[in-house]
Amino acid sequence: MKRLLELLNDGNSRTLEMLADELGTTTDDVIRQMEYLECIGAIRKVVKPFEKKNPCASCSGCESGSAACKGCIPQNAAVNMGQMWEVL
Amino acid sequence: MSTTTIALLGQPNSGKSTLFNALTGLHQHVGNWPGKTVEKKEGSFAYKGSTYDVADLPGSYSMSANSDEEVITRDFIASGNADVVCILADSSQLERSLFMLADYAGIDAPCFLVLNMEDVAKEQGKTIDVASLEKKLGIPVMLFSATDTKAYDKFYTTLERALKAKSRIDVSALEEEYEKLEGYNEIKEQIHDNVIPGYTPMWLTVKYLENDKVVSAKLKSELSEDKVATIESLKGDNNGAIATGECKFKWIDELVEGTVKGKKKTIKLGKLDRIYTHRFWGKPAVVLTVVLGLLASFIPALPIMAVASVFDILKNFAGEALNSAGCSPFLIGLLCDVVIQSMSYVTKMLGFVFGVTLVFGLLEEVGVMARISYVFDNTMGKLGLQGKSVMPFLVSFGCTMGGAAGARVIDNWGQKILTIALAWAVPCGAAWATIPMLSTVFFGPAAPVVIIAVLIVMILHMWITAKIFGAKLINKEDRCGMIMELPPYHKPKWGALFRYVFGRTKDTFFRVVKVVLLVCLIFWLLSYGSGATDTSILYKVGTAIEPVTKFFGLPWQLFIAFIAASVGKEGAIGVITALYTGGSYGEGFAQAMSGAARAANLGDILLANVSRPEALAFIFAITFNMPCVVALAATYQEIHSVKWTARIALYYTLVSLALACAAYHIGLIIW
Ligand SMILES: Nc1nc2c(ncn2[C@@H]2O[C@H](COP(=O)(O)OP(=O)(O)O)[C@@H](O)[C@H]2O)c(=O)[nH]1
Repeated sequence: MKRLLELLNDGNSRTLEMLADELGTTTDDVIRQMEYLECIGAIRKVVKPFEKKNPCASCSGCESGSAACKGCIPQNAAVNMGQMWEVL
Repeated sequence: MSTTTIALLGQPNSGKSTLFNALTGLHQHVGNWPGKTVEKKEGSFAYKGSTYDVADLPGSYSMSANSDEEVITRDFIASGNADVVCILADSSQLERSLFMLADYAGIDAPCFLVLNMEDVAKEQGKTIDVASLEKKLGIPVMLFSATDTKAYDKFYTTLERALKAKSRIDVSALEEEYEKLEGYNEIKEQIHDNVIPGYTPMWLTVKYLENDKVVSAKLKSELSEDKVATIESLKGDNNGAIATGECKFKWIDELVEGTVKGKKKTIKLGKLDRIYTHRFWGKPAVVLTVVLGLLASFIPALPIMAVASVFDILKNFAGEALNSAGCSPFLIGLLCDVVIQSMSYVTKMLGFVFGVTLVFGLLEEVGVMARISYVFDNTMGKLGLQGKSVMPFLVSFGCTMGGAAGARVIDNWGQKILTIALAWAVPCGAAWATIPMLSTVFFGPAAPVVIIAVLIVMILHMWITAKIFGAKLINKEDRCGMIMELPPYHKPKWGALFRYVFGRTKDTFFRVVKVVLLVCLIFWLLSYGSGATDTSILYKVGTAIEPVTKFFGLPWQLFIAFIAASVGKEGAIGVITALYTGGSYGEGFAQAMSGAARAANLGDILLANVSRPEALAFIFAITFNMPCVVALAATYQEIHSVKWTARIALYYTLVSLALACAAYHIGLIIW
């Protein structure tokens, strides 16, 4: 897991498969280690703005009262974009 | 009659609720844990004349003090409230789900292990040797399906077995792992039995190493001062949780090894993903994908664009008809050059928006966009953007409004604005139709040098603009993740996609049409003159400020062409032709906007009137000017902010003049 954290800290983005490959293990193993790292607060799942409870709070862009704002991203957009994590 | 209490412990989705509901049926009630807002679920059932209370323990992943739930759960167990703890794990993924058991090991309470989801494991072709697992663990273990009502007899027998034996987990193999940790033995020596009742010294030592706040605080208050000092000095670095976690995983792997037989799932990258994630070929593959996508988006766009040419025909027809009916030229101009012309623009643009939204929406649903995003994540990160920003940039080589429409996949408002702002710096198709032509006329064989210079300036421009606007738009936290779970490739849901695309196109139409009408009207009024050149406001202003614009390398004709190019770059050449051949600007403007053919002798006209430094200045001025009125409108439509749209437009106008000025003065030195 130290190696995993080192890889995550080098600033390059990677897929789970690449991580598994570089660590010589399976994606399932990477997933479980990531789950653990997430729990101890070493990494965090990226929450997309429109998945947040109040998407407009983080968005300074809407002219106030504008009815068109749906978290500043059209509804139904950004589907199937995969899950991202970030290192804390 | 005796009452026995069973506590249910398991990670989310282990089937805990299913088991709880099946056991207790209607005999359950929900309350709160004292002093906390954490839900407390209790219930009861009778079996062979005894009553069993069931506590559904809250909790998520482990027994650490990461949350209120987890602390409540472990305190409940350690204070001896439960006669037996039923630990659930998911048989289909034991390596992952046995973590709760590993973290529980060392809490001094009887327990047994339920390997739920037996059916799922079976489906995956896995067989689990329960007897061997029991032997290794020293507690009753059972395979189970909480959803199978017939399986519950087995549950009751195992429960009775665990109650009778008061079985506890054999932690010797696990402790062997812990003993390899730096400081573990020494710290454990300082912690005597029952310092905190219910927890073994091993468990406490591990939690202490993990920096568990609750345990650390309790140990500090329970142990003597010198002992606290000793363990404090032994703890070492703060990465304890990583090391202990590794021990637990290692122990789990040893448990599972030889116990679970069956196909180990290793997800290998598919062929396509191997290309996309390739260190070298990934980027070319993504660029190719986007370019193909851009080309493909012309297919659905073409029918709509054909409608636009109907407007062009209508415009000529209406113009002639009104003219012969004796209508005033002002009215004809207003109707033909403003209203009908705007509709033609907007319709062309809608074609683009429709095509780009459809094709790139499709790429997104199918899962390709996630790959694009991933491949360019590092590069775009340098600009403060996400990987997917590369898509609008590439599309902008074709058309900036397509780029703006494509920016909708960016889920962060600030990054979206920055992406569009930077996409403006990418010379669009209309610029590419003009730059090489002008370069060839003026610089002959040196034309490629000019084009390369344009590309270099583009990159610098984007970089500097990213710094200038990024400071306001991008928060550090907005940086998106580094690790990515590529989504599986999907079949698209056509219905939803089309509904989305049509809705989007409709929205765009209503928002954009106002902006385009307004801007066209302003330009038209400025350039309106009753036949002769010298009555239009633009002419008057242009000639009046010529001493200033000359400094930027733009005589008044070129300056007016530059202004006209902010409506549409296609028009610039037409306007120049009209002005240098003595035609009225208004006429030239109207003709140029509708794509009139350029004069055959344009090269001669230009060479006779424009010097090389001026030409160079003009090339840079129109290339980096705001792309066109429709791109402006599309930008407004995407970012919902008048303020930022205006800011970007003003910034681009000023920067393009500054670039023109620089080019002109460099040109003066050269020639
Ligand atoms: N196939 C199968 N599904 C199960 C089994 N036990 C639970 N589930 C399903 O797994 C999902 C999660 O179960 P739930 O009881 O809500 O999990 P909890 O989060 O631990 O409370 C539900 O959809 C259940 O129907 C099982 O033994 N086999």
